[in-house]
Amino acid sequence: MAESTPTQDLVTVVIDGKEHKLPKGTNLLEACRSVGADVPYFCYHKGLSSPAVCRQCLVDVKGSPKPVPSCYTSVADKMEVTTNSPKILDVRRQMLEFTLLNHPIDCPICDKAGECSLQKHYFDWDSKLARNEGIKVRKAKVVDVGKHIVLDQERCILCTRCIRVCDEVAKAPELTMADRGSHQILTTAPGHRLDNPYSLNTVDVCPVGALTAKDFRFSRRVWELSASPSVCPGCATGCNIEVHVARGEIHRLVPRENPDVNKFWMCDEGRFEYKAVHNNRLLLAQIGGKRAPLDRAVAEAARVLREALAADAKADRKKVGVVFSAGATNEDTHALARLALDGLKFERAYAAGRAFGWSDTILVSADKNPNTVGVQRIVPPPVRTERDLLSDVASGAVDTLLVLSNERLEVEFGKLRALVVLASHRGPLVDAASVALPIATWAESDGTFTNRDGRVQRIHAALGTRGDVMPAWRALALLGSKLSINLAYASAAEVFSDAAARHDFMKDVVFGPPAVPVELRFGGSRG
Amino acid sequence: MAAEITSEPGSKRRVVFGEADVSDFDESAEVPVESMPLRMGPSHPAMHGTIRMALEVDGEKIRTCDIEIGYLHRCFEKEAEAATWTQIFPYTDRLNYVSPMLNNVGYALAVEKLLDIDQKIPERAQYIRVIVGEVSRIADHLTCLGASAMELGAFTVFFYLIKAREWLWELLEEISGARLTHSYVRIGGVVGDIPEGWAAKLLSTLGKVREAIGDADKLLTRNKIFRDRMDGVGIIAKNDAAGWGLTGPVARSTGLDYDVRKDHPYLVYDRFDFDVPVGSTGDNFDRYAVRLEEIRQSMRILEQALARIPDGQILIDDVRVALPAKRETYNSIEAMIAHFKMIMDGLHVPPGEIYSFTEGGNGELGFYIVSDGTGRPWKCRVRPPCFANLAILNKVLPGLFIADVVPTFGMINMIGGECDR
Amino acid sequence: MAKIILDKLLERFTGAEILETGSQHGNEWARVAPAAWLQVAGFLLRDPALQMSMFTDLTCVDRLPREPRFDVVVHLYSVEQKHRVRLLAGLPATDPAIASLVSLWPGANWFEREAFDMYGVRFEGHPDLRRILMYPEFQGYPLRKDYPKEKRQPLLRRLPGSV
Repeated sequence: MAESTPTQDLVTVVIDGKEHKLPKGTNLLEACRSVGADVPYFCYHKGLSSPAVCRQCLVDVKGSPKPVPSCYTSVADKMEVTTNSPKILDVRRQMLEFTLLNHPIDCPICDKAGECSLQKHYFDWDSKLARNEGIKVRKAKVVDVGKHIVLDQERCILCTRCIRVCDEVAKAPELTMADRGSHQILTTAPGHRLDNPYSLNTVDVCPVGALTAKDFRFSRRVWELSASPSVCPGCATGCNIEVHVARGEIHRLVPRENPDVNKFWMCDEGRFEYKAVHNNRLLLAQIGGKRAPLDRAVAEAARVLREALAADAKADRKKVGVVFSAGATNEDTHALARLALDGLKFERAYAAGRAFGWSDTILVSADKNPNTVGVQRIVPPPVRTERDLLSDVASGAVDTLLVLSNERLEVEFGKLRALVVLASHRGPLVDAASVALPIATWAESDGTFTNRDGRVQRIHAALGTRGDVMPAWRALALLGSKLSINLAYASAAEVFSDAAARHDFMKDVVFGPPAVPVELRFGGSRG
Repeated sequence: MAAEITSEPGSKRRVVFGEADVSDFDESAEVPVESMPLRMGPSHPAMHGTIRMALEVDGEKIRTCDIEIGYLHRCFEKEAEAATWTQIFPYTDRLNYVSPMLNNVGYALAVEKLLDIDQKIPERAQYIRVIVGEVSRIADHLTCLGASAMELGAFTVFFYLIKAREWLWELLEEISGARLTHSYVRIGGVVGDIPEGWAAKLLSTLGKVREAIGDADKLLTRNKIFRDRMDGVGIIAKNDAAGWGLTGPVARSTGLDYDVRKDHPYLVYDRFDFDVPVGSTGDNFDRYAVRLEEIRQSMRILEQALARIPDGQILIDDVRVALPAKRETYNSIEAMIAHFKMIMDGLHVPPGEIYSFTEGGNGELGFYIVSDGTGRPWKCRVRPPCFANLAILNKVLPGLFIADVVPTFGMINMIGGECDR
Repeated sequence: MAKIILDKLLERFTGAEILETGSQHGNEWARVAPAAWLQVAGFLLRDPALQMSMFTDLTCVDRLPREPRFDVVVHLYSVEQKHRVRLLAGLPATDPAIASLVSLWPGANWFEREAFDMYGVRFEGHPDLRRILMYPEFQGYPLRKDYPKEKRQPLLRRLPGSV
């Protein structure tokens, strides 16, 4: 932690009486926290500039007449720092008192309760009760500042983190402070609303419940949530996220720190990817649009494919195709390739996914599929596009399809003699299918996505599956067993190992065990 | 009256009733004995709190005994690991459920020691804890004596003592809101002050209780039937007591003079003048007599405590340990936050371990608590006094008659909630 | 609680047997190597200055994820000397076993059975090591940290002939 490579400049710093060697230029607040001196802070954030406005991180540095804000100071050689003397503890209490002076008594109705920094720091460092008679400055309480966000000006502790997020991360200076003293308020810049595509990051960084997401507001108390790590399926950037689940339902997605991919942020659009997981799901197998028991459906799918292949062989033509999905995990894609291409020897392979969209230089990719690169690397060429697929079906060049996901695919279903679909959501594709097998979405799957830079990232199942839903690789293994093709994978890890053995780009990736969801009520205390 | 029984041709013996010459009658050779398995419990009117005794009996005599417990196991420790420090109080009520205040107090003292605030508990709160604890102890002993007497046939005594217990429970209901599951104690003090007039009511009730146990004493102590059933039955030797971990009235009846209130005083017990009755034989009667006298001594403590209780606060003033007053909570953000974090996170107890022990109704009630620094315990173990007290019955019962099982078991005062947790 | 116990232990045993001692909140404790468990306990019982004849409590603490995972904890008391001590011994996660103290204190019998029942720690030399609180068909060791509180158990097998 404190030690580093010999080539870096190390300085000796004494923190609370103990000597430490730290790299030159380390932020003093980070240095203190890394050696176990738990200095509290509000306005400092690792991914933003440091204005030292909250004064909560004040520590004593020998030689300085006043306490210094540790978030604004770098370590220097022979620095002597005290973070826990009675004087500094008292200073900490005084700063908290100032912050709490006009803070409204909103805990019972505030969404941040349970993950609020103000609550945490007060309970850890202070126990004095209020000295004012309960008279507080009143400000606006439910201000609609933007498409996704509600502002409560009274709760705001004026830390300016949200302003810096908009300025530095989103490059859209939409927020500002107005007025002065105890009447200072957060507000939108004149003529602006808070509606940049990264606005919900302000809700993440807000230490209190001043900025709240309209989508999450009042939907669940924080301590009822469990967090699972995953990767956003919204585009090819692959921002690392946490999926917050309560009672089998996802309530929100929040970014997870990854210095190489998304740092601390994610875009607003990605946050709403969770909504699709619960709407309009295919939970039970179908044959010809009607519910059927799973084993019968699998048998029927096998029969249909066998017939089509036999017809092809007899007439010496190639009219059976497989459609890969750029939104499926590497494991599902690999299992489908093993079944359809290696096993059944389909000669027509297509890849389809969501349409491309807008992009920017901050995080958002134009490619709105999480695993395009994975499909490109796993499926051997030639791989035809969605446009080719539409024209091939229309012209009759292909008349039997095995489709993975791609539920909004709109080919001329009437021209197909058979359509076997592995889908997670209902829709025209599932209705038109000869056989539809229900599969898990990204939120219920253990697997990997490959982002636009070729980085393979692990996703963890945050939810259990319902009905007959299972991961696509398992459905394909069942199908394979009926077609005498052995894909007997017992777990996602096995599929991964099989894929990694054949594909170089996955070779050095560690799959790891499934992540146990962390209950958020232990986040502040048990960690 | 002698009677001659003519035997069948070819038979070997002629048995003559009423004659003394059966001395050469070799019982075990002539009448091979197979012990009969007899299972008492778990549903049995005399097996207080569900216990199963797997007895092998030879006629009326017990040959071997294997006591099976666990029928009332409700996972106290596992639940405690998932609950905040304050949420554990209702679980402690349900340990020794005939003297719940003593369990509350024992647990609170353990956590307070870990928090290093055991010297800062307000004095009035300490006196109140002693008072309600001793009332609970009297109720415990009344229940034990009453139930055991009833099982021997002394129904009247049962009614007298249960009526006395009822008066005490009414008082405890007035102070805490519940007859049995009080959850009255909190970390840092107690949750509510003594209502007006309660002290006077308690004093007058003690007078009535004194009369009731006086009546019970008169009916039982020199009653030949009672003495014949209890004297010399279920003897536990003094030398065995420590090795088996016996404490409380059971240990003191053997002659082992160990009472936590005297030997390691806690709260304000060192300010009171009281005696600890110790038996000599370790039989059932000694246990009865020790408990009867302990009731009288507890009443002595109560009278002294009520006379000397000071005014003051009943809960420590630190919002990181005890909830702030509602008036503060609704009018200041600091108290609101403290209230919120105390309830949701639980108060933060610094990491460490402690074994804290008090005198429960049955003996040394210990709490071994391991804290990892969060709002929930890492481990919260109860050292149940009647768990150890019951174990020795596997050694004591063989050799006794089946009829002796009832008073012996009754006088051990095994409370299922405490033994099985 | 008395320091004399720790002093005598350190005097009589080496660092290989008494691994660590300490005093916290008025409790004296000593960490013992599992191989020396019976020896150290016997010394505490028999030494005339210590006389720790009262067996107060024996339990187990699951310190997951620390190795050694289990701590067997015993509390001993002396009625004559009025002092107490806590002994701890660290046992590994796989197949935790330690000597039984029943030969020294008969009261240890049920306490060791409970530690076995709840944590799966075996006590070698125990005359009758079986479950005490749980029913015999129970699977697993409930107080271990990786046993979820809500876990369901299989229904009991029906005895032949019963309905």
